[in-house]
Amino acid sequence: MTNTFKAGEHLPAIDKDIDQARIAGWAELSGDFNRLHVDPDYAEKTKFGGTIAHGPMSLGFLNELMMSCFGLPWAQGGRLREVRFLAPIRPGDHIVISGQVERVEEDGKAQTLHCRLEIRKDGGETTAVTGLGVVTLGGKES
Amino acid sequence: MTSPKPELVFDDLPKGRKFTPLRYEITPRLVNAYMDTVGDRNPLYWDQAKAGAAGGLVAPPGLAAIYARLSYLQENTMPSGGVLAGQEFEFLKPVKPGAVLTVQAEVFESYLDPKDRKRVNFLIVARDGQGDRVCVVRLYAIWPK
Repeated sequence: MTNTFKAGEHLPAIDKDIDQARIAGWAELSGDFNRLHVDPDYAEKTKFGGTIAHGPMSLGFLNELMMSCFGLPWAQGGRLREVRFLAPIRPGDHIVISGQVERVEEDGKAQTLHCRLEIRKDGGETTAVTGLGVVTLGGKES
Repeated sequence: MTSPKPELVFDDLPKGRKFTPLRYEITPRLVNAYMDTVGDRNPLYWDQAKAGAAGGLVAPPGLAAIYARLSYLQENTMPSGGVLAGQEFEFLKPVKPGAVLTVQAEVFESYLDPKDRKRVNFLIVARDGQGDRVCVVRLYAIWPK
């Protein structure tokens, strides 16, 4: 990618397969052992009909996308806003994490990018998570 | 035999309540576990040569928020049926491997919404060993009881 971005530009998408082992890994990592995530027998009896991934793990995927595109400026000033969890992500889902530069603010040599982010599944038919990533590029740090 | 932790219920969560700070180290094991679980293998996390130009290795930013939920559940359990309605992050300062972070949660809003749902919103701040804020999380929850 170039160092200058334009509104409408797409960020290179990332795709992943979700399985129960990954969800269990997030439970270990975060300390969130809610049975809805880690106990298939329990989860099957809930309205979800099975285990679902932790919401914050999805945000880890959005962070990954922004780090892969922008690197350090995301780690020192990146903001993830307007997150909405629209559909659960389940074991067996293949997800695509993508983004598009919605708006660019120019301030001298600095650019502040407002990027619409989303996670889709079911071959792109279902939007699971949406959010807005805001990152400033330019200046000595980037 | 230890008694189970009590559930954290809506009445325990008035606006302004602050929780005991949670302290943890960004260990190599934690960084590796994050990379393995998320699948995020950005070279800035592990490739000294590539990270050198950017000032050295950094931890995945998400690790500064990994215990956001746990920070208000250290002495309690979460009642089942809650909903994470939204979450926001602001990353203020890169976290270096080996850093010790202190995370503290505070209830910044607690109310019944027009549908009589129990809304509890947390402001969770992670600070490094210098006391600098490295990450701010806002977590919006619908509390079950």
